[in-house]
Amino acid sequence: MSATREDRRVGLTLGALSSLVLLLIAGMIFFVLEKAWPSFSHNGLSWFGAKGEVDAQLTEIFNSPADPNNYVYTIGAWPLIYATALVTFLSVALATVFSVLSAIFIVEFAPDRLRRVLEPVVRLLAAVPSVIYGLIGILVIVPFVADHFVTEGARESVRFVIQLDGTSLAVATAILTVMITPIMIAIIVDALRTVPQGWTQGAVALGVNRWRAMRTIAVRTARPAIVAAAVLASARALGEAIMLSMVSGSVGFAPNPLDGYIFLLEPARPLAATIVDNAEGLSVVPFGQTLYAFAAVLLVSTAMLSLGGWYARRALRKYTVTR
Amino acid sequence: MAELTPPPVRRIALDADPTVIPPEEAINGNGHASAVRRPEAPRPGTVLERMRVEELSVAYGSKLAVNRVSIEVNRGEVLALIGPSGCGKTTLLRSLNRLVDGTASAARSGRILLDGNDIDFIDVTQLRRQVGMVFQQPNPFPMSIFDNIAYGLRERGSRKPSKRALEPAVHSALHRAGLLEEVKDDLQHPALRLSGGQQQRLCIARSLAVQPEVLLLDEPCSALDPISTGIIEELIAKLRTEIAIVIVTHNLQQAQRVADRVAFMYLGDLVEYGAAEQVFEAPQAMRTRDYVTGAFG
Ligand SMILES: Nc1ncnc2c1ncn2[C@@H]1O[C@H](COP(=O)(O)OP(=O)(O)O)[C@@H](O)[C@H]1O
Ligand SMILES: [Mg+2]
Repeated sequence: MSATREDRRVGLTLGALSSLVLLLIAGMIFFVLEKAWPSFSHNGLSWFGAKGEVDAQLTEIFNSPADPNNYVYTIGAWPLIYATALVTFLSVALATVFSVLSAIFIVEFAPDRLRRVLEPVVRLLAAVPSVIYGLIGILVIVPFVADHFVTEGARESVRFVIQLDGTSLAVATAILTVMITPIMIAIIVDALRTVPQGWTQGAVALGVNRWRAMRTIAVRTARPAIVAAAVLASARALGEAIMLSMVSGSVGFAPNPLDGYIFLLEPARPLAATIVDNAEGLSVVPFGQTLYAFAAVLLVSTAMLSLGGWYARRALRKYTVTR
Repeated sequence: MAELTPPPVRRIALDADPTVIPPEEAINGNGHASAVRRPEAPRPGTVLERMRVEELSVAYGSKLAVNRVSIEVNRGEVLALIGPSGCGKTTLLRSLNRLVDGTASAARSGRILLDGNDIDFIDVTQLRRQVGMVFQQPNPFPMSIFDNIAYGLRERGSRKPSKRALEPAVHSALHRAGLLEEVKDDLQHPALRLSGGQQQRLCIARSLAVQPEVLLLDEPCSALDPISTGIIEELIAKLRTEIAIVIVTHNLQQAQRVADRVAFMYLGDLVEYGAAEQVFEAPQAMRTRDYVTGAFG
């Protein structure tokens, strides 16, 4: 068989495979949206709003009458959406700062011997299963926070609204940050390495110190990769369910920034954690459809994130691409 | 469109060095004269010592790259460092702005003076502003043309000057590098879209923008076509009245065209050092004679 014919065959096979993958994804999105539709259509836009206790509404839906004409769908998912956005945004923001700084350190400042240890450790950390973080969180961090940060005063001040037991926005954010930082470091380190030496050298030759040269040239050049890393991390944060359901408190509650620092100690259960927490109820039709609606929101958010990241990267590459 | 006429070449008063002669009037930006004229001999009294290298040695680990070299760098002159590749020209050049200090394995000894002060006792930021450098590969930053030139000025202080405040300095630097006419309407375009020769002149302009007293050029034309090379050689001939220029080249014709003074290096040693005519026409050392007559290299 001639080489070109073999190439063509490989090309066709790979093309068919990737089309299959695309088809699967499209099918999945369609399936989820279709399942979720009753929940959205019954509530209209108020699905996204706040209608009081979301957990009580979930219980109502779970206890729906068996008659399809009397299914209960009423829900205002705002506390869950808000918790998702809050936990994701806070942890990705923190992780971006940490990972950029660590990557600069690894690439430019770490002594060779430290670098040789640090890099494999970072890559290893990126692969730790999230349930392990969840275990450490619930066995170590949550009790620690409950003992040391949740004071009697704090507990009292929100007594009529919510119970503070250590499972909280702060712990969820902190552990999620630790979880997503390593993969971001790995991506950003690779990106900083590909910045041509000539550029940073040129800056240094203009009298700029190494730190400024890294900041103003290397990090600037690596911005598309930083955006890509942040998008990837956001997707992971949005989808993280097990760990968050373990440490964020099993209450659908919207932490109130007006509570001052207590805000951080209040529970906040995101969408993905809500799905795993309630998975046993899937057999109840309207309840299952409500969970599918949560999943649909997550799917659409990740899709929009990827799209936004793509646009941002394209804009940021304007000066790097030569022609 | 009054803004389109290039602003007069003027040094920023703040940094003006009282001993610096103002640049020659009206550098014509597009000068495409194909034959580069030998620069006229510098007028007496305009040659002024700027840097003095005394017994400089640089070793990478145990490998000696520069061996007890002593030379002077004068304003009003172009000093060409010539010699076969690997003989230590780049290392010598990078010692002058202490860029070798960034190489962990490099050890430098001997003294280098800038205007009488040991460069090891000058703040390195200050030193590198006074001793600018242009690299072998053009290395414009991945930013707009304007931001490239403004980079050194913006990084100078803690307060970032506004774009408008920077404009005169950016225009003047581009003008001195003979690039203004070509790019003045495209200052916001990515610098990396320029041609190789334009990129190299951009890098020269970027160095000039911070008002250096000495300009180091490390084989600035080795990546360029003959026409761009000619333009840059002409530029060097013009700039030499304002600042001291050191150019590394392994192109002897180029050294002959642009240099007033030549230092021939071989395996880290300074073999011959003197006026260009003398080194090329009446070399003292055997190795120089062989090299300039093309016996090796
Ligand atoms: N970073 C470095 N580490 C080790 N050796 C180096 C380094 N840079 C240059 N050298 C060595 O020093 C010698 C002089 O190099 P260089 O100054 O670049 O020469 P030239 O510019 O004349 O070609 C060469 O033998 C080269 O191998
Ligand atoms: Mg060299």
